[in-house]
Amino acid sequence: MGGEGSTEVLVPVGESSTLRNTVAYAVRAAQDAAGVESEGGGEGATGPAESGATVHFVYPAGWRSGDPKDDPRFDRARELLDRLEVWAEEDADPDGPPVTVETALVGRERYLFSPGDFAAVLADYAEDRGLEVVVVDPEYQPGGNAPMLRPLEFELRQAGLTVEEAPVERPARRTRFLGRANLSQFLLLFGVSYAFYLLLGGFALTGFELATGAITAGLVAYLLWRISLTETPHVTRYPLRAARMALYAPYLLWEIAKANLSIAYVVLHPDLPIDPSLERFEAAVWGDLPVTTLANSITLTPGTLTVEVSERSFYIHTLTASSREDLFDGALERAVRFVFYGRDAAAIPSPRERGDSGPGIDDGGEET
Amino acid sequence: MISTPGDVLIVLLAAAGTFFGGVAAVGVLRLPDLYTRAHAASKSDTLGAVLSLAAVAITFGSGVTTVKTVFLLVFMFVTNPTAAHAITRAAHDQGIEPWTTDDRRQREQDRERTRDADRDRSPEVGAE
Repeated sequence: MGGEGSTEVLVPVGESSTLRNTVAYAVRAAQDAAGVESEGGGEGATGPAESGATVHFVYPAGWRSGDPKDDPRFDRARELLDRLEVWAEEDADPDGPPVTVETALVGRERYLFSPGDFAAVLADYAEDRGLEVVVVDPEYQPGGNAPMLRPLEFELRQAGLTVEEAPVERPARRTRFLGRANLSQFLLLFGVSYAFYLLLGGFALTGFELATGAITAGLVAYLLWRISLTETPHVTRYPLRAARMALYAPYLLWEIAKANLSIAYVVLHPDLPIDPSLERFEAAVWGDLPVTTLANSITLTPGTLTVEVSERSFYIHTLTASSREDLFDGALERAVRFVFYGRDAAAIPSPRERGDSGPGIDDGGEET
Repeated sequence: MISTPGDVLIVLLAAAGTFFGGVAAVGVLRLPDLYTRAHAASKSDTLGAVLSLAAVAITFGSGVTTVKTVFLLVFMFVTNPTAAHAITRAAHDQGIEPWTTDDRRQREQDRERTRDADRDRSPEVGAE
Protein backbone atom coordinates (compact mmCIF):
# COMPACT_ATOMS: atom_id res chain seq x y z
CA MET A 1 0.00 0.00 0.00
CA GLY A 2 3.04 2.21 0.27
CA GLY A 3 2.99 5.50 2.05
CA GLU A 4 -0.68 6.21 1.42
CA GLY A 5 -1.90 3.37 3.56
CA SER A 6 -3.12 3.95 7.04
CA THR A 7 -3.27 1.57 9.94
CA GLU A 8 -6.70 2.85 10.79
CA VAL A 9 -9.30 2.34 8.13
CA LEU A 10 -12.95 3.32 8.10
CA VAL A 11 -15.29 1.12 6.06
CA PRO A 12 -18.89 2.23 5.62
CA VAL A 13 -20.97 -0.93 5.30
CA GLY A 14 -24.41 -2.03 4.23
CA GLU A 15 -25.86 -5.07 2.52
CA SER A 16 -23.97 -5.55 -0.73
CA SER A 17 -22.84 -8.40 -2.93
CA THR A 18 -19.17 -7.51 -2.80
CA LEU A 19 -18.94 -6.71 0.90
CA ARG A 20 -16.99 -9.88 1.67
CA ASN A 21 -14.23 -8.90 -0.75
CA THR A 22 -14.15 -5.35 0.52
CA VAL A 23 -13.69 -6.55 4.10
CA ALA A 24 -10.79 -8.73 3.01
CA TYR A 25 -9.21 -5.86 1.13
CA ALA A 26 -9.63 -3.35 3.96
CA VAL A 27 -8.16 -5.71 6.53
CA ARG A 28 -5.16 -6.55 4.38
CA ALA A 29 -4.60 -2.91 3.48
CA ALA A 30 -4.58 -1.88 7.13
CA GLN A 31 -2.27 -4.76 7.96
CA ASP A 32 0.12 -3.85 5.17
CA ALA A 33 0.24 -0.28 6.36
CA ALA A 34 0.85 -1.40 9.92
CA GLY A 35 3.65 -3.65 8.74
CA VAL A 36 5.29 -0.85 6.76
CA GLU A 37 4.99 1.51 9.66
CA SER A 38 6.59 -0.84 12.13
CA GLU A 39 9.52 -1.47 9.79
CA GLY A 40 9.83 2.15 8.75
CA GLY A 41 9.36 3.31 12.33
CA GLY A 42 12.58 1.48 12.72
CA GLU A 43 14.56 1.15 15.85
CA GLY A 44 12.23 2.75 18.32
CA ALA A 45 9.37 0.43 17.64
CA THR A 46 9.31 -2.60 19.82
CA GLY A 47 7.62 -4.75 17.21
CA PRO A 48 4.44 -5.17 15.24
CA ALA A 49 2.40 -5.93 18.32
CA GLU A 50 2.18 -2.32 19.37
CA SER A 51 1.44 -0.85 15.98
CA GLY A 52 -1.46 -3.09 15.05
CA ALA A 53 -4.09 -2.24 12.49
CA THR A 54 -7.59 -1.13 13.27
CA VAL A 55 -10.56 -1.49 10.95
CA HIS A 56 -13.71 0.39 11.76
CA PHE A 57 -16.89 -0.98 10.21
CA VAL A 58 -19.52 1.69 10.35
CA TYR A 59 -23.15 1.09 9.48
CA PRO A 60 -24.98 4.35 8.81
CA ALA A 61 -28.55 3.71 9.90
CA GLY A 62 -30.29 5.63 7.17
CA TRP A 63 -33.74 5.51 8.62
CA ARG A 64 -35.48 7.33 11.38
CA SER A 65 -37.24 5.23 13.91
CA GLY A 66 -39.69 5.96 16.67
CA ASP A 67 -38.39 3.24 18.90
CA PRO A 68 -34.96 1.92 17.92
CA LYS A 69 -35.38 -1.14 20.12
CA ASP A 70 -38.38 -2.36 18.19
CA ASP A 71 -37.16 -1.78 14.67
CA PRO A 72 -36.09 -5.03 13.01
CA ARG A 73 -33.73 -3.10 10.76
CA PHE A 74 -31.47 -2.41 13.71
CA ASP A 75 -31.31 -6.10 14.46
CA ARG A 76 -30.37 -6.80 10.86
CA ALA A 77 -27.69 -4.10 10.94
CA ARG A 78 -26.22 -5.53 14.14
CA GLU A 79 -26.24 -9.03 12.65
CA LEU A 80 -24.33 -7.72 9.67
CA LEU A 81 -21.77 -6.03 11.90
CA ASP A 82 -21.31 -9.24 13.92
CA ARG A 83 -20.78 -11.13 10.69
CA LEU A 84 -18.18 -8.58 9.62
CA GLU A 85 -16.16 -9.11 12.78
CA VAL A 86 -15.99 -12.82 12.03
CA TRP A 87 -15.01 -12.18 8.42
CA ALA A 88 -12.32 -9.71 9.40
CA GLU A 89 -10.78 -12.25 11.75
CA GLU A 90 -10.81 -14.86 9.04
CA ASP A 91 -9.28 -12.55 6.48
CA ALA A 92 -6.50 -11.17 8.62
CA ASP A 93 -3.06 -12.44 7.72
CA PRO A 94 -2.10 -14.52 10.78
CA ASP A 95 1.58 -13.64 10.33
CA GLY A 96 0.96 -9.93 9.95
CA PRO A 97 0.31 -7.28 12.57
CA PRO A 98 -2.73 -7.90 14.75
CA VAL A 99 -6.01 -6.41 13.64
CA THR A 100 -8.51 -4.76 15.91
CA VAL A 101 -12.05 -4.60 14.60
CA GLU A 102 -14.44 -1.92 15.73
CA THR A 103 -18.05 -1.80 14.66
CA ALA A 104 -20.51 1.00 15.04
CA LEU A 105 -24.04 1.87 14.10
CA VAL A 106 -24.15 5.60 13.47
CA GLY A 107 -26.69 8.19 12.50
CA ARG A 108 -29.60 6.56 14.26
CA GLU A 109 -30.88 9.81 15.68
CA ARG A 110 -30.85 11.43 12.27
CA TYR A 111 -32.78 10.82 9.10
CA LEU A 112 -30.16 10.20 6.44
CA PHE A 113 -31.27 10.99 2.97
CA SER A 114 -28.71 12.57 0.68
CA PRO A 115 -25.10 11.54 0.04
CA GLY A 116 -24.15 14.61 2.08
CA ASP A 117 -26.04 13.26 5.10
CA PHE A 118 -24.29 9.92 4.91
CA ALA A 119 -20.92 11.57 4.39
CA ALA A 120 -21.55 13.86 7.38
CA VAL A 121 -22.14 11.05 9.87
CA LEU A 122 -19.18 9.10 8.50
CA ALA A 123 -16.95 12.18 8.69
CA ASP A 124 -18.10 12.82 12.27
CA TYR A 125 -17.16 9.29 13.20
CA ALA A 126 -13.79 9.62 11.47
CA GLU A 127 -13.07 12.90 13.21
CA ASP A 128 -13.93 11.53 16.64
CA ARG A 129 -11.40 8.76 16.23
CA GLY A 130 -8.84 10.60 14.13
CA LEU A 131 -9.30 8.44 11.05
CA GLU A 132 -8.17 9.62 7.65
CA VAL A 133 -8.70 6.76 5.23
CA VAL A 134 -12.01 5.43 4.03
CA VAL A 135 -12.32 2.23 2.03
CA VAL A 136 -15.64 1.98 0.23
CA ASP A 137 -17.29 -1.05 -1.23
CA PRO A 138 -17.93 -0.52 -4.97
CA GLU A 139 -21.41 -1.96 -4.61
CA TYR A 140 -22.21 0.02 -1.48
CA GLN A 141 -25.64 1.64 -1.81
CA PRO A 142 -26.73 3.35 1.37
CA GLY A 143 -29.73 4.95 -0.30
CA GLY A 144 -31.47 1.80 -1.46
CA ASN A 145 -32.00 1.90 -5.20
CA ALA A 146 -30.65 5.37 -5.78
CA PRO A 147 -27.06 5.34 -7.00
CA MET A 148 -25.15 7.43 -4.51
CA LEU A 149 -21.67 6.00 -4.33
CA ARG A 150 -19.94 8.62 -6.46
CA PRO A 151 -21.51 11.63 -4.76
CA LEU A 152 -20.81 10.00 -1.41
CA GLU A 153 -17.14 9.58 -2.31
CA PHE A 154 -17.04 13.17 -3.43
CA GLU A 155 -18.57 14.41 -0.19
CA LEU A 156 -16.14 12.34 1.86
CA ARG A 157 -13.22 13.83 -0.05
CA GLN A 158 -14.65 17.27 0.58
CA ALA A 159 -14.57 16.44 4.28
CA GLY A 160 -10.82 15.93 3.97
CA LEU A 161 -10.74 12.14 3.99
CA THR A 162 -8.77 9.90 1.70
CA VAL A 163 -11.23 7.72 -0.16
CA GLU A 164 -10.31 4.46 -1.76
CA GLU A 165 -12.58 2.07 -3.60
CA ALA A 166 -11.87 -1.55 -2.80
CA PRO A 167 -10.73 -3.40 -5.94
CA VAL A 168 -13.04 -6.39 -5.60
CA GLU A 169 -12.46 -9.43 -7.73
CA ARG A 170 -15.92 -9.63 -9.15
CA PRO A 171 -16.40 -6.74 -11.56
CA ALA A 172 -18.95 -4.29 -10.28
CA ARG A 173 -22.18 -4.88 -12.10
CA ARG A 174 -23.38 -1.38 -11.55
CA THR A 175 -24.78 -0.23 -14.88
CA ARG A 176 -23.10 2.82 -16.19
CA PHE A 177 -25.18 5.93 -16.37
CA LEU A 178 -23.74 6.82 -19.71
CA GLY A 179 -24.39 4.09 -22.20
CA ARG A 180 -22.44 3.40 -25.31
CA ALA A 181 -23.39 5.97 -27.84
CA ASN A 182 -23.28 6.18 -31.56
CA LEU A 183 -23.85 8.77 -34.22
CA SER A 184 -27.35 7.71 -35.20
CA GLN A 185 -28.51 8.31 -31.64
CA PHE A 186 -26.99 11.75 -31.73
CA LEU A 187 -28.60 12.60 -35.06
CA LEU A 188 -31.99 11.32 -34.02
CA LEU A 189 -31.94 13.31 -30.81
CA PHE A 190 -30.71 16.37 -32.64
CA GLY A 191 -33.41 16.06 -35.29
CA VAL A 192 -36.23 15.59 -32.79
CA SER A 193 -35.02 18.48 -30.63
CA TYR A 194 -34.66 20.73 -33.67
CA ALA A 195 -38.12 19.88 -34.95
CA PHE A 196 -39.60 20.47 -31.52
CA TYR A 197 -37.86 23.81 -31.19
CA LEU A 198 -39.09 24.98 -34.57
CA LEU A 199 -42.58 23.77 -33.78
CA LEU A 200 -42.71 25.79 -30.58
CA GLY A 201 -41.51 28.76 -32.55
CA GLY A 202 -44.42 28.33 -34.92
CA PHE A 203 -42.36 27.25 -37.91
CA ALA A 204 -41.25 30.80 -38.55
CA LEU A 205 -38.30 29.68 -40.59
CA THR A 206 -36.25 32.82 -40.25
CA GLY A 207 -32.51 32.73 -40.03
CA PHE A 208 -32.62 33.60 -36.35
CA GLU A 209 -34.97 30.75 -35.50
CA LEU A 210 -32.95 28.27 -37.52
CA ALA A 211 -29.68 29.34 -35.91
CA THR A 212 -30.90 29.36 -32.30
CA GLY A 213 -32.73 26.10 -32.94
CA ALA A 214 -29.59 24.48 -34.22
CA ILE A 215 -27.60 25.67 -31.20
CA THR A 216 -30.26 24.52 -28.74
CA ALA A 217 -30.77 21.16 -30.42
CA GLY A 218 -27.03 20.68 -30.62
CA LEU A 219 -26.66 21.36 -26.90
CA VAL A 220 -29.50 19.04 -26.00
CA ALA A 221 -28.19 16.28 -28.21
CA TYR A 222 -24.63 16.74 -26.95
CA LEU A 223 -25.65 16.63 -23.30
CA LEU A 224 -28.21 13.87 -23.49
CA TRP A 225 -27.39 11.61 -26.41
CA ARG A 226 -25.77 9.02 -24.22
CA ILE A 227 -28.51 9.12 -21.62
CA SER A 228 -31.85 9.32 -23.35
CA LEU A 229 -31.39 6.55 -25.90
CA THR A 230 -30.04 3.28 -24.67
CA GLU A 231 -30.13 1.33 -27.87
CA THR A 232 -29.35 1.91 -31.49
CA PRO A 233 -32.40 3.48 -33.06
CA HIS A 234 -33.96 1.55 -35.90
CA VAL A 235 -35.47 4.42 -37.79
CA THR A 236 -37.16 2.14 -40.28
CA ARG A 237 -39.23 0.59 -37.52
CA TYR A 238 -40.50 3.88 -36.19
CA PRO A 239 -43.23 4.69 -38.73
CA LEU A 240 -44.89 1.32 -38.15
CA ARG A 241 -44.62 1.75 -34.43
CA ALA A 242 -46.00 5.27 -34.66
CA ALA A 243 -48.92 4.00 -36.71
CA ARG A 244 -49.68 1.36 -34.11
CA MET A 245 -49.30 4.00 -31.42
CA ALA A 246 -51.87 6.08 -33.26
CA LEU A 247 -54.25 3.15 -32.94
CA TYR A 248 -53.34 2.70 -29.31
CA ALA A 249 -53.95 6.33 -28.31
CA PRO A 250 -57.73 6.39 -28.92
CA TYR A 251 -58.07 3.04 -27.22
CA LEU A 252 -56.17 4.38 -24.23
CA LEU A 253 -58.27 7.54 -24.21
CA TRP A 254 -61.40 5.47 -24.16
CA GLU A 255 -60.03 3.41 -21.28
CA ILE A 256 -59.10 6.59 -19.43
CA ALA A 257 -62.60 7.98 -19.89
CA LYS A 258 -64.05 4.75 -18.50
CA ALA A 259 -61.56 4.84 -15.65
CA ASN A 260 -62.62 8.29 -14.67
CA LEU A 261 -66.32 7.57 -14.78
CA SER A 262 -65.82 4.55 -12.52
CA ILE A 263 -63.59 6.52 -10.15
CA ALA A 264 -66.04 9.39 -10.12
CA TYR A 265 -68.84 6.95 -9.31
CA VAL A 266 -66.86 5.38 -6.49
CA VAL A 267 -65.70 8.68 -5.05
CA LEU A 268 -69.10 10.33 -5.12
CA HIS A 269 -71.04 7.28 -3.92
CA PRO A 270 -72.21 7.85 -0.33
CA ASP A 271 -70.92 4.45 0.83
CA LEU A 272 -67.51 4.83 -0.85
CA PRO A 273 -67.61 1.25 -2.25
CA ILE A 274 -63.90 0.56 -2.49
CA ASP A 275 -61.98 -2.64 -1.89
CA PRO A 276 -58.34 -1.74 -2.38
CA SER A 277 -55.54 -4.25 -2.45
CA LEU A 278 -52.00 -4.52 -3.71
CA GLU A 279 -51.51 -7.07 -6.49
CA ARG A 280 -48.50 -8.40 -8.28
CA PHE A 281 -48.22 -9.78 -11.77
CA GLU A 282 -45.58 -10.65 -14.28
CA ALA A 283 -46.13 -8.67 -17.44
CA ALA A 284 -45.19 -10.15 -20.78
CA VAL A 285 -43.43 -7.03 -22.02
CA TRP A 286 -39.72 -6.49 -22.30
CA GLY A 287 -37.50 -3.46 -22.47
CA ASP A 288 -37.56 -0.03 -20.86
CA LEU A 289 -39.94 1.79 -23.13
CA PRO A 290 -42.68 -0.86 -23.37
CA VAL A 291 -42.56 -1.41 -19.61
CA THR A 292 -42.79 2.33 -18.99
CA THR A 293 -45.67 2.65 -21.42
CA LEU A 294 -47.52 -0.20 -19.78
CA ALA A 295 -46.85 1.13 -16.27
CA ASN A 296 -48.15 4.57 -17.17
CA SER A 297 -51.14 3.15 -19.02
CA ILE A 298 -52.02 1.04 -16.02
CA THR A 299 -51.87 4.09 -13.81
CA LEU A 300 -54.19 5.97 -16.13
CA THR A 301 -56.82 3.27 -16.47
CA PRO A 302 -59.63 1.94 -14.30
CA GLY A 303 -58.79 1.82 -10.63
CA THR A 304 -55.24 0.60 -11.06
CA LEU A 305 -52.03 2.31 -10.04
CA THR A 306 -48.49 1.11 -10.63
CA VAL A 307 -46.65 1.15 -7.34
CA GLU A 308 -43.43 -0.64 -8.15
CA VAL A 309 -41.85 -2.16 -11.22
CA SER A 310 -38.78 -4.31 -11.19
CA GLU A 311 -37.83 -6.04 -14.41
CA ARG A 312 -41.16 -7.54 -15.42
CA SER A 313 -42.81 -7.66 -12.00
CA PHE A 314 -45.51 -5.10 -11.56
CA TYR A 315 -46.93 -4.20 -8.18
CA ILE A 316 -50.31 -2.70 -8.81
CA HIS A 317 -52.58 -1.04 -6.31
CA THR A 318 -56.18 -1.72 -7.30
CA LEU A 319 -59.08 0.28 -6.02
CA THR A 320 -62.00 -2.05 -6.72
CA ALA A 321 -62.57 -5.74 -7.37
CA SER A 322 -63.70 -5.11 -10.96
CA SER A 323 -60.51 -3.20 -11.73
CA ARG A 324 -58.52 -6.24 -10.60
CA GLU A 325 -60.47 -8.43 -12.99
CA ASP A 326 -59.79 -6.06 -15.86
CA LEU A 327 -56.11 -5.96 -15.04
CA PHE A 328 -55.71 -9.72 -15.06
CA ASP A 329 -57.68 -9.99 -18.27
CA GLY A 330 -54.68 -8.20 -19.71
CA ALA A 331 -56.31 -6.05 -22.39
CA LEU A 332 -53.87 -3.19 -21.83
CA GLU A 333 -50.85 -5.42 -21.72
CA ARG A 334 -51.93 -6.92 -25.00
CA ALA A 335 -52.38 -3.49 -26.54
CA VAL A 336 -48.90 -2.39 -25.46
CA ARG A 337 -47.42 -5.55 -26.94
CA PHE A 338 -49.26 -4.80 -30.15
CA VAL A 339 -47.71 -1.33 -30.29
CA PHE A 340 -44.15 -2.47 -29.75
CA TYR A 341 -43.97 -5.93 -31.18
CA GLY A 342 -46.77 -6.16 -33.72
CA ARG A 343 -49.93 -8.17 -34.06
CA ASP A 344 -48.39 -11.58 -33.41
CA ALA A 345 -47.31 -10.62 -29.91
CA ALA A 346 -50.83 -9.56 -29.05
CA ALA A 347 -51.84 -13.19 -29.18
CA ILE A 348 -49.85 -14.08 -26.04
CA PRO A 349 -52.33 -15.23 -23.39
CA SER A 350 -53.51 -12.90 -20.65
CA PRO A 351 -51.79 -12.84 -17.24
CA ARG A 352 -54.59 -14.92 -15.76
CA GLU A 353 -54.26 -17.63 -18.42
CA ARG A 354 -50.48 -17.65 -18.05
CA GLY A 355 -50.77 -17.95 -14.30
CA ASP A 356 -48.62 -14.86 -13.88
CA SER A 357 -51.15 -13.05 -11.76
CA GLY A 358 -50.15 -13.88 -8.23
CA PRO A 359 -52.25 -13.02 -5.25
CA GLY A 360 -51.20 -9.69 -3.85
CA ILE A 361 -49.01 -9.07 -0.87
CA ASP A 362 -52.10 -7.96 0.87
CA ASP A 363 -55.27 -9.77 -0.01
CA GLY A 364 -58.14 -7.57 1.04
CA GLY A 365 -61.41 -9.42 1.63
CA GLU A 366 -64.25 -9.28 -0.87
CA GLU A 367 -66.74 -6.51 -0.51
CA THR A 368 -69.87 -7.75 1.21
CA MET B 1 -74.16 33.56 -26.83
CA ILE B 2 -73.71 29.85 -27.38
CA SER B 3 -74.50 29.60 -31.01
CA THR B 4 -72.22 27.28 -32.92
CA PRO B 5 -71.61 23.58 -32.29
CA GLY B 6 -68.01 24.51 -31.55
CA ASP B 7 -69.08 26.72 -28.68
CA VAL B 8 -71.27 23.96 -27.30
CA LEU B 9 -68.35 21.57 -27.46
CA ILE B 10 -66.10 24.05 -25.68
CA VAL B 11 -68.60 24.56 -22.89
CA LEU B 12 -69.15 20.81 -22.56
CA LEU B 13 -65.43 20.11 -22.40
CA ALA B 14 -64.77 22.86 -19.90
CA ALA B 15 -67.68 21.71 -17.75
CA ALA B 16 -66.51 18.09 -17.86
CA GLY B 17 -62.96 19.21 -17.02
CA THR B 18 -64.21 21.15 -14.04
CA PHE B 19 -66.36 18.22 -12.96
CA PHE B 20 -63.42 15.79 -12.97
CA GLY B 21 -61.22 18.32 -11.24
CA GLY B 22 -63.89 18.50 -8.56
CA VAL B 23 -64.06 14.70 -8.38
CA ALA B 24 -60.29 14.63 -7.87
CA ALA B 25 -60.57 17.09 -4.98
CA VAL B 26 -63.45 15.19 -3.37
CA GLY B 27 -61.59 11.92 -3.86
CA VAL B 28 -58.45 13.20 -2.19
CA LEU B 29 -60.54 14.28 0.77
CA ARG B 30 -62.75 11.21 1.07
CA LEU B 31 -60.52 8.27 0.28
CA PRO B 32 -58.85 6.62 3.24
CA ASP B 33 -55.13 6.36 2.52
CA LEU B 34 -52.25 7.50 0.37
CA TYR B 35 -52.61 4.83 -2.30
CA THR B 36 -56.32 5.29 -2.88
CA ARG B 37 -55.92 9.05 -2.85
CA ALA B 38 -53.25 8.74 -5.50
CA HIS B 39 -55.88 7.04 -7.65
CA ALA B 40 -58.10 10.09 -7.46
CA ALA B 41 -55.22 12.51 -7.89
CA SER B 42 -53.69 10.75 -10.87
CA LYS B 43 -56.74 9.80 -12.90
CA SER B 44 -59.44 12.35 -12.31
CA ASP B 45 -56.97 15.17 -12.21
CA THR B 46 -55.39 14.13 -15.50
CA LEU B 47 -58.70 13.91 -17.28
CA GLY B 48 -59.89 17.18 -15.74
CA ALA B 49 -56.81 19.04 -16.92
CA VAL B 50 -56.84 17.36 -20.30
CA LEU B 51 -60.50 18.17 -20.97
CA SER B 52 -59.94 21.79 -19.97
CA LEU B 53 -56.91 21.99 -22.23
CA ALA B 54 -58.91 20.46 -25.06
CA ALA B 55 -61.46 23.23 -24.59
CA VAL B 56 -58.62 25.74 -24.77
CA ALA B 57 -57.28 24.15 -27.93
CA ILE B 58 -60.65 24.32 -29.65
CA THR B 59 -61.16 27.91 -28.54
CA PHE B 60 -57.94 28.94 -30.24
CA GLY B 61 -58.89 27.13 -33.40
CA SER B 62 -56.12 25.96 -35.69
CA GLY B 63 -52.68 27.41 -35.27
CA VAL B 64 -49.46 27.16 -33.34
CA THR B 65 -51.18 27.80 -30.00
CA THR B 66 -53.33 24.76 -30.52
CA VAL B 67 -50.30 22.64 -31.31
CA LYS B 68 -48.67 23.86 -28.12
CA THR B 69 -51.79 23.07 -26.15
CA VAL B 70 -51.82 19.58 -27.58
CA PHE B 71 -48.20 19.19 -26.48
CA LEU B 72 -49.18 20.30 -22.98
CA LEU B 73 -51.90 17.71 -23.07
CA VAL B 74 -49.48 14.98 -24.05
CA PHE B 75 -47.08 15.99 -21.30
CA MET B 76 -49.90 15.81 -18.77
CA PHE B 77 -50.54 12.25 -19.88
CA VAL B 78 -46.90 11.33 -19.47
CA THR B 79 -46.03 13.17 -16.27
CA ASN B 80 -49.15 12.69 -14.13
CA PRO B 81 -49.01 8.90 -13.92
CA THR B 82 -45.26 9.09 -13.46
CA ALA B 83 -45.65 11.42 -10.49
CA ALA B 84 -48.37 9.22 -8.97
CA HIS B 85 -46.11 6.23 -9.44
CA ALA B 86 -43.17 8.01 -7.83
CA ILE B 87 -45.22 8.96 -4.79
CA THR B 88 -46.76 5.55 -4.24
CA ARG B 89 -43.46 3.84 -4.87
CA ALA B 90 -41.79 5.99 -2.25
CA ALA B 91 -44.62 5.09 0.14
CA HIS B 92 -44.19 1.41 -0.70
CA ASP B 93 -40.45 1.65 -0.10
CA GLN B 94 -41.11 3.18 3.27
CA GLY B 95 -43.31 0.21 4.11
CA ILE B 96 -46.63 2.01 4.30
CA GLU B 97 -49.38 -0.62 4.32
CA PRO B 98 -52.32 -0.08 1.98
CA TRP B 99 -55.70 0.41 3.54
CA THR B 100 -58.08 -2.52 3.10
CA THR B 101 -61.72 -3.20 3.82
CA ASP B 102 -60.57 -4.96 6.97
CA ASP B 103 -59.60 -1.57 8.32
CA ARG B 104 -63.11 -0.34 7.71
CA ARG B 105 -64.64 -3.34 9.46
CA GLN B 106 -62.28 -2.80 12.33
CA ARG B 107 -63.28 0.80 12.59
CA GLU B 108 -66.96 0.03 12.39
CA GLN B 109 -66.60 -2.46 15.19
CA ASP B 110 -64.77 0.10 17.26
CA ARG B 111 -67.45 2.57 16.49
CA GLU B 112 -70.22 0.22 17.53
CA ARG B 113 -68.44 -0.38 20.75
CA THR B 114 -68.21 3.31 21.48
CA ARG B 115 -71.84 3.71 20.44
CA ASP B 116 -72.92 1.01 22.83
CA ALA B 117 -71.02 2.73 25.53
CA ASP B 118 -72.39 6.11 24.61
CA ARG B 119 -76.02 5.58 23.55
CA ASP B 120 -77.15 9.07 22.72
CA ARG B 121 -74.85 9.69 19.79
CA SER B 122 -76.58 10.52 16.56
CA PRO B 123 -76.55 7.69 13.97
CA GLU B 124 -74.55 9.41 11.24
CA VAL B 125 -72.27 6.45 10.73
CA GLY B 126 -73.62 5.38 7.37
CA ALA B 127 -72.23 8.34 5.50
CA GLU B 128 -68.63 7.37 6.03
